[in-house]
Amino acid sequence: MDAARTPDRRPAQAAAILIALGVFLVDTLTPLEGAVAVLYVVVVLIAARAFSRRGVILAAGLCLALTATAYLASHGPAAFGSPLLRCFVSLAAVGITTALALRHKADAAVLAEQARLLDLTHDAVFVRDARGAITFWNRGAEEFYGWPAAEVMGCVAHDLLRTVLPAERDAIMAELLRTGRWEGELVQTVGAGRTVVVESRWALQRDAGGAALAVLETNTDVTERKRTFAALVESERRYRSIFDNTRVSILQQDWSGAKAALDALRAAGVRDVAAHLAGDPDLAARLRRSVRVVDVNAVTLRLFGAPDRHALTGSLDALLQEGDQTFPKALAALADGEAFFEGETLVRTLDRGTVPVLFGIGFPADPAGLDCVLVHAIDITERRQAQEALLGVQAELAHAARVSTLGELTATLAHEINQPLAAVVTNGEAALRWMRREVPDLDEVGAAVTRVVANGNRAGAIVARIRGFLTKAPPRPEWLDLPEMIGEAAQLLERELARHDVTLRLSLAAGLPPVKGDRVQLQQVVINLMLNGIQAMTAVRERPRVLSVQAAGQEDAQVRVDVIDSGDGLDPEAAERVFQPFFTTKRDGMGMGLAICRSTVEAHGGRLWVSDAGPGAAFHFTLPASEARAA
Amino acid sequence: MPHPVTIAIVDDDEAVRTATASLVRSLGYAARTYACARDFLEDAPARAADCVITDVQMPGMSGVELQQRLRAAGRSVPMIFVTAFPTDDLRRRVLEAGAAGFLAKPCDGDAIIHSLQGALEGHRAH
Repeated sequence: MDAARTPDRRPAQAAAILIALGVFLVDTLTPLEGAVAVLYVVVVLIAARAFSRRGVILAAGLCLALTATAYLASHGPAAFGSPLLRCFVSLAAVGITTALALRHKADAAVLAEQARLLDLTHDAVFVRDARGAITFWNRGAEEFYGWPAAEVMGCVAHDLLRTVLPAERDAIMAELLRTGRWEGELVQTVGAGRTVVVESRWALQRDAGGAALAVLETNTDVTERKRTFAALVESERRYRSIFDNTRVSILQQDWSGAKAALDALRAAGVRDVAAHLAGDPDLAARLRRSVRVVDVNAVTLRLFGAPDRHALTGSLDALLQEGDQTFPKALAALADGEAFFEGETLVRTLDRGTVPVLFGIGFPADPAGLDCVLVHAIDITERRQAQEALLGVQAELAHAARVSTLGELTATLAHEINQPLAAVVTNGEAALRWMRREVPDLDEVGAAVTRVVANGNRAGAIVARIRGFLTKAPPRPEWLDLPEMIGEAAQLLERELARHDVTLRLSLAAGLPPVKGDRVQLQQVVINLMLNGIQAMTAVRERPRVLSVQAAGQEDAQVRVDVIDSGDGLDPEAAERVFQPFFTTKRDGMGMGLAICRSTVEAHGGRLWVSDAGPGAAFHFTLPASEARAA
Repeated sequence: MPHPVTIAIVDDDEAVRTATASLVRSLGYAARTYACARDFLEDAPARAADCVITDVQMPGMSGVELQQRLRAAGRSVPMIFVTAFPTDDLRRRVLEAGAAGFLAKPCDGDAIIHSLQGALEGHRAH
């Protein structure tokens, strides 16, 4: 041990020398009949603490020499008998004590040497003797507690550190003595006054006889770890609280299986996951079964009408409708590495009902976290009802507006055309009368017939004017991307598709040339045809309800759109008449939709026709594409 | 010279007015035409009309209003209504108010002649 760390030994050294001198003087100068020299043992014991090994041996030799000198001085070399015996006893006692002290010192040196190795660790390590006094204090302890070793040597460790034990001291000591080890958590105070929590490991050092010699205490600072853990616990508690008490439905789901399948698809060269899934319903269904619901909160139980969590944990498949359109899209979002996906769908409740929900899925950035995907859902029944009521009112208004427009049109036609017609008829009648008189008045006949012709022309002009007015729809031609427009129409019809449980398959060729036309009018054509298709399948039970919309370019520089349903199709007679005004197969239809669609398409220079499509009907229309603008 | 039977024709459409007048004259009656109900009311000789053939929808004063005014003034001239909007409700109203005829436009000459003769005979019978 270096000098700086060595406590001041000089008082002990001085004491040892003084006692040795004192014993020598008493031994030499007093006529005591006793083994006074035995008291040199005290000198040896003090020396054992105060001197190095060599110093101890020197001190012991001195004591032996002083004993012998005192004997010779008092009794002379020739004296035999009890004084000599006492001298030998003294010499033996000093010798034995020295031997023991040296051995003890050697043991302590080994212990200290071992302890020095502990300087290398970052843990705070110290050794305390049987009294609890510190005999070793490593660098880690200096740094952690803030006291240099020199200051704390000999101090009672646990008084210094104001250690708070986790259990009764007696119990801890009993365990330490029994097993030689103890481990536990202590609260201590460092030099700066800060309270720390340490994980403490005690190892007991015994002497050869088994008596406790020292305790090696290794302390690891776990204050930060404890704080982090506490924060983690608090965070978990907060999460739990939100999970359990929020009014939003939360489902914890495991998507790792689905992710593995998607990765396999990608490895197999599939780029457009959405299209691939659309073409492979079995795979989509399998993936749906692979997503597992792990946990749900109380709101979710209410949403699904479930008695407990176990009723909902398991495959996600059980909660979705057969024709759900959002799941493949969510998979595509996951495959594309998107962090969030949201949508609206109908979920199946346990009583076989459905509930419309708005949901959001947060995909963790780390794929390893996909076993804990949180899905939030809100019941939007009321919003839907309000929305549907609103749409219903809007539809009624639109219908009423159309009817009243038609009524006004009729009134206008009646008023405008009836006058000249009345004049034609009456003039004709008058001409006949003038002609049939006994003396026909040909002047009057001529005048009347002239008025017939004039009024006939007037009626014709009115008809031409009204037609001009009707066809004078405000033309707002612009360049349109048909696939984009079909995509928008599909969005607008998402609700209708879900409500009628219809699967939509879009097959839109890439890089189609734009078409020129009125966005609103053509949008209405697409929506009308799709809506007709959806409504044509309401009675279908035994086969999937699929609406296919395809867009492709043709050789004749036309873009063609096909809208194909899997309904019951049209009989040949109906197919002839669907485009006539006021023809309808719907209970509350006006019968104007397809007639208007056809005239709109024709006004854009295209064609609209119908054909048979297996079980269903296929409507097709073409529009001239711009070759100049073709990409 | 006996007073010729005079028919007043009230219609805002000039073509209809002229045609009706021609038809009436071809039957041997005198015809007097008015472009609106107010003109007829303001015309003093109107009192001498033996029958009135009037449109219903006209700007300013309708045929129905004309009928009310005449009745309020105590004039009992027979009236024949011709309209492009012949509703049952309208027919009932004017017939209850004493109209001699109610015809839909365009109407054939025979119907007008029949109504006219009926109106004139009914009036004479009074």
